[in-house]
Amino acid sequence: MTKILYSDDLTTCFSTWRKEGIMTFGPVQEAGNSGFREVQDEKELDMNLILTSRTLKELFFPRTEPMLSYSIGKQQIETSEFLPSEKPCIIFGARPCDAAGMAMDDELFNWDYRDEYWFRRRSRSVIMTIACSTSDDFCMCTSLGLGPDSAKGSDVLLRPLASGKGWLVEELTEKGDKALQSIASLLKEGTEEAAPTAEVPVLFDLEACTTWLADPENFESHFWKEISERCIGCGTCTYLCPTCHCFDIQDEGDTYEGIRRKNWDSCSFQLFTMHTSGHNPRNTQSARWRQRIMHKFNYFSLKFSVNSCTGCGRCTRECPVDMGVRETLQAISTLQK
Amino acid sequence: MSIQEQYRSRAKELLGEGSVKMVIGYGVGTTATRRRPIFITSPDETDRLVLDASCRTNLAGYLLREGLLADQKSIAVFLLPDGVRALNILAAESQLATAQIVVLGFEIKGEEVKPLEGTAAGDFSAIIAERKEQRKAQPSHEMAVKLEEMTPAERFAFWEKEFSRCIKCYACRAACPMCWCRRCVVDNNQPQWVNTSSHTLGNLEWNLVRAFHLAGRCVECGNCSEACPVNIPLHLLNGRMTDEVLTAFDHYPGADEQQEPVLASFRKDDPETFIL
Repeated sequence: MTKILYSDDLTTCFSTWRKEGIMTFGPVQEAGNSGFREVQDEKELDMNLILTSRTLKELFFPRTEPMLSYSIGKQQIETSEFLPSEKPCIIFGARPCDAAGMAMDDELFNWDYRDEYWFRRRSRSVIMTIACSTSDDFCMCTSLGLGPDSAKGSDVLLRPLASGKGWLVEELTEKGDKALQSIASLLKEGTEEAAPTAEVPVLFDLEACTTWLADPENFESHFWKEISERCIGCGTCTYLCPTCHCFDIQDEGDTYEGIRRKNWDSCSFQLFTMHTSGHNPRNTQSARWRQRIMHKFNYFSLKFSVNSCTGCGRCTRECPVDMGVRETLQAISTLQK
Repeated sequence: MSIQEQYRSRAKELLGEGSVKMVIGYGVGTTATRRRPIFITSPDETDRLVLDASCRTNLAGYLLREGLLADQKSIAVFLLPDGVRALNILAAESQLATAQIVVLGFEIKGEEVKPLEGTAAGDFSAIIAERKEQRKAQPSHEMAVKLEEMTPAERFAFWEKEFSRCIKCYACRAACPMCWCRRCVVDNNQPQWVNTSSHTLGNLEWNLVRAFHLAGRCVECGNCSEACPVNIPLHLLNGRMTDEVLTAFDHYPGADEQQEPVLASFRKDDPETFIL
């Protein structure tokens, strides 16, 4: 016997949470573009999306956010910090690849410095993930050691019923359990079967790739120039990546008064590594693309014992010139040493 | 012989006889309908070239890759009529010499690809003139008409909503053949002229600055809207600028390479109706 949440009960489910003062978030489609935002009820959600075009990370690491305001007077300097609220949130309908990305970034944001902006939002949120029963041509979670029903990063995993009428419910964490307690009366005992998970083909040998990348001899390989020749250096792949986390800090205002903000930044940009001297250690687009791949599949794993790619496929799906992690790793895994 | 075979053998010939050092064209992409830019330097590789109705990206921007044309050697490039117009503007703005460019021109009508006669940018003036008349006769987009019918407040609300999704990835800039500045104004940080934050003000600043810089220069190839990962209909904004220069100055951007930049030239008979 397992617990089942029926789609017909979602309205009550959302209103119960909201009555308890919990903010509810989910996948929403607007003007042909989709992402996560706060919703008042389940009717706003688009439950048919395989994957939102923008990622879950926006809820924890917004593209721009104020950090502090400052004002410098003759006698004193005043600052006040903008920290995110701790109001509880439930994110309904995340995908396993996006949820896994949040768990990967936890490592990064708690490494040499604990990023309170990230962790306040992380600890207030419950991620209820829906396992994938469909995938598209760009999905590649299985190539990265994950899968359409991976539990990594999720607090609750929902498996769609074969009947399409709801989900089998698995609580994975204490936070998840707590969120389910408030809707306990809506969770029915049942024996219904789950729909089969999506069949996502394995596209490359990840181990062969990481071994090649770890070999210092390949750092200057001609491969990098060839594979990235058409890269136009926009930030799409990084900004739509669930794990890319680079940011820039900007003061908006003047010397005496203003707001310090944290804004997304991208290693694809020439300006990203430009020194004040004018020297740029990554002065070509191929060096920048190499950095992106090396960071995800070499440096990050050296430091945190995990690669920072979940196989969501957005980098390829949304690339204006049809590049992406997929093509690069496929090419590497077929290279002769 | 299919048009694809025809153009492959053209490319093979050009590379084989050494009249060009590279052919910039389209190759197969990740899925059956996706095409990607490819760079062919050997006559043996021309079989990788694809030409069909999915080949819509304007490739003209790749010609400005740093150092690519510095050796004075020629490059062949697959271009739609909009791409040829982009080439004309780049030449008019002294970014390249058209003598170095061999155009492999084609057009797409519905789902059919048709060859265009000619090899030099100047050979395509007839089809460009035809496009100009078509453009004058009808707006580029249905939504453009709806926008005109809105009140200024409604229009502002429309754009504010569209721009609210902007994530400042600058894919529009990177994909645009006209955005050739080595250092964009938004990348200048001493002083920081344009906010880098993607909040309402920053997004309005960026998108409006770019629209102004494209006034009279946009060839409406659609690269920006295609590249935008958050689906902002940038073509509507830039198309509006084209309407303006067409009506006020009969200026169709990129008509030929002698064409003077509309906002950087002056004629005594220029209409001054907009000066208060």
